[in-house]
Amino acid sequence: MYHLRLVGQFARASVQNELAYRANFWISLLHSSLGLITGVLGLVVVFGQVETIRGWDLPSTLALLGVYQILAALRGLFIGPSLEALAGMDGEIWTGNFDFTLLRPVDAQFLASVRHWRPFALIDLVLGLGVLVAAVYQLATALSPLRLVAFLLTSLAAVTILYALQLAFSALTLWNPGFLFTWVLDGLFNMARYPVGLYPGWLRIVLTWLVPVGIMTTVPAQALTGTLPPGTLAGSLGAALVLLLAASALFRFGLRRYASASS
Amino acid sequence: MSEPHIVVRDLSKTYRVPEREAGLLASLRGLFQRSYRDVEAVRGVTFDVAPGEMVGFIGPNGAGKTTTLKMLSGLLYPTAGEACVLGFSPWERRPDYLRQISMVMGNKSQMLWDIPPLDTFRVLGEIYHVPSAQAQRTVDELVALLEMEDLLTKPVRNLSLGERMKCELVAGLLHRPQVLFLDEPTLGLDVSMQGRLRRFLAEYNRQRDVTVILTSHYMADVVALCPRVILIHHGQLLYDGELQGLAQRLAPFKLIRVALRRPEWDPEGLPPGVDIVESENGRVTLRVGRAQAPALTAHLLNTLPVADLAVEDPPIEAVIDQVYQEGVS
Repeated sequence: MYHLRLVGQFARASVQNELAYRANFWISLLHSSLGLITGVLGLVVVFGQVETIRGWDLPSTLALLGVYQILAALRGLFIGPSLEALAGMDGEIWTGNFDFTLLRPVDAQFLASVRHWRPFALIDLVLGLGVLVAAVYQLATALSPLRLVAFLLTSLAAVTILYALQLAFSALTLWNPGFLFTWVLDGLFNMARYPVGLYPGWLRIVLTWLVPVGIMTTVPAQALTGTLPPGTLAGSLGAALVLLLAASALFRFGLRRYASASS
Repeated sequence: MSEPHIVVRDLSKTYRVPEREAGLLASLRGLFQRSYRDVEAVRGVTFDVAPGEMVGFIGPNGAGKTTTLKMLSGLLYPTAGEACVLGFSPWERRPDYLRQISMVMGNKSQMLWDIPPLDTFRVLGEIYHVPSAQAQRTVDELVALLEMEDLLTKPVRNLSLGERMKCELVAGLLHRPQVLFLDEPTLGLDVSMQGRLRRFLAEYNRQRDVTVILTSHYMADVVALCPRVILIHHGQLLYDGELQGLAQRLAPFKLIRVALRRPEWDPEGLPPGVDIVESENGRVTLRVGRAQAPALTAHLLNTLPVADLAVEDPPIEAVIDQVYQEGVS
């Protein structure tokens, strides 16, 4: 309850902060809409020429785009703003402002993960949900309750994996404060826009096993369209748990190296 | 006597810092091969601080003051040694410990930048489990002491440095910490704002009996607030005791101020080893070795038409400056 109240306070303060710059709302709306339109348009053009690409048709690829959009929205809503504030040359680890996170009587990982919210990312969330609903309507078969549960569980795993990756890449900043590790994650995350099966074999292995951004979008889209290979649901939940524990351990270990901008 | 609030034993901290040579070529080389060196920021420091005590932590830039404070507040892990604050090991950063301490830094802000200070105070009240009625009462008290009623509704980014510092103090004291670490709280403030913050800190310490360690480059802060000082230089503790004793211990000379009944006198008659600091219209200031002072005083009284004479320790700033530049023998 205490933690939920804290999240509420941070979200409220962030909304106040963001509303000080009203023009950003319209810019965010334009940016999100353009991103989505080009994404959908690209798919429509491609699937105007072919029926399927390696087993992926338009509705299932659209579902994957919707999942991607929702994950990007959640990343933009709080995971990204909070954890990316640590990284880079003006980041809190470099400047030492991370001191004020560590001085609070609250778990440092929790506080580092929920301090900053970007409410305009809710636009992306609404657009992403819209794409997902449109995809479901185009599916050949109706959405059964079982598939819906599988979709929700794999989506939970996807959000957990996204958070764990963001946490791990941000934690690396504790070893090298000026290095923008999160930019590397940006590049990899962009690859989750397309089904992992479309990539060449070696990249498919990287995106499934090393930095599992592929699992994040491909698996929930498969769950929604009823093409989930057996064992994948349990596998993605297990991978999410392992990644979360590993990223948390990395973050906690990294805290010992924090130099607070001294020397 | 009650147990000390802060116990520090042989505390040390060594940083590993990258070394870089000047020039583009060296920078490019640094992309592939980095060299490091160890910097011993704090070396075996030992001291205690009693409950309610205000201690000035002084030393030149890079002496290790802030590093020590950061270890005591749990921000940094030490390389060696021990510290116990309020019965806790600081770097374990237990919530029960962090709820009882606060650190206010002159060069860093904990305020939310684009919204009024009251909103930051509300978030902090939630973080520290301060009931809203108590938080309101504390804010009201601190705001009255700091005379800052008109600042509460302005966005923080529109405040001056001094105004922001007042807000930092309210933010740092909202949860009524028992131990307060102040790192350069008057940095960059004008003289009258420095004075106001000093009066506030003295009054707050008197009212709440809070234990304070203060670092400052302004000796006036230390003189006004801290009966006891700890001097640290090159990471080592050089002096721990009363502020007045610092001059006696570290300055090997005394100042003798003499007012003469007649302005003219003959400096040639002074014994060797005596420096004339100033001489104008019959007012003379002499600097002499501590051991020589009594003999010189007698000599002056016997040989000159003395109207008034005072033997003093040199000003604290001069002593500190000497230590910073030359170290301690």
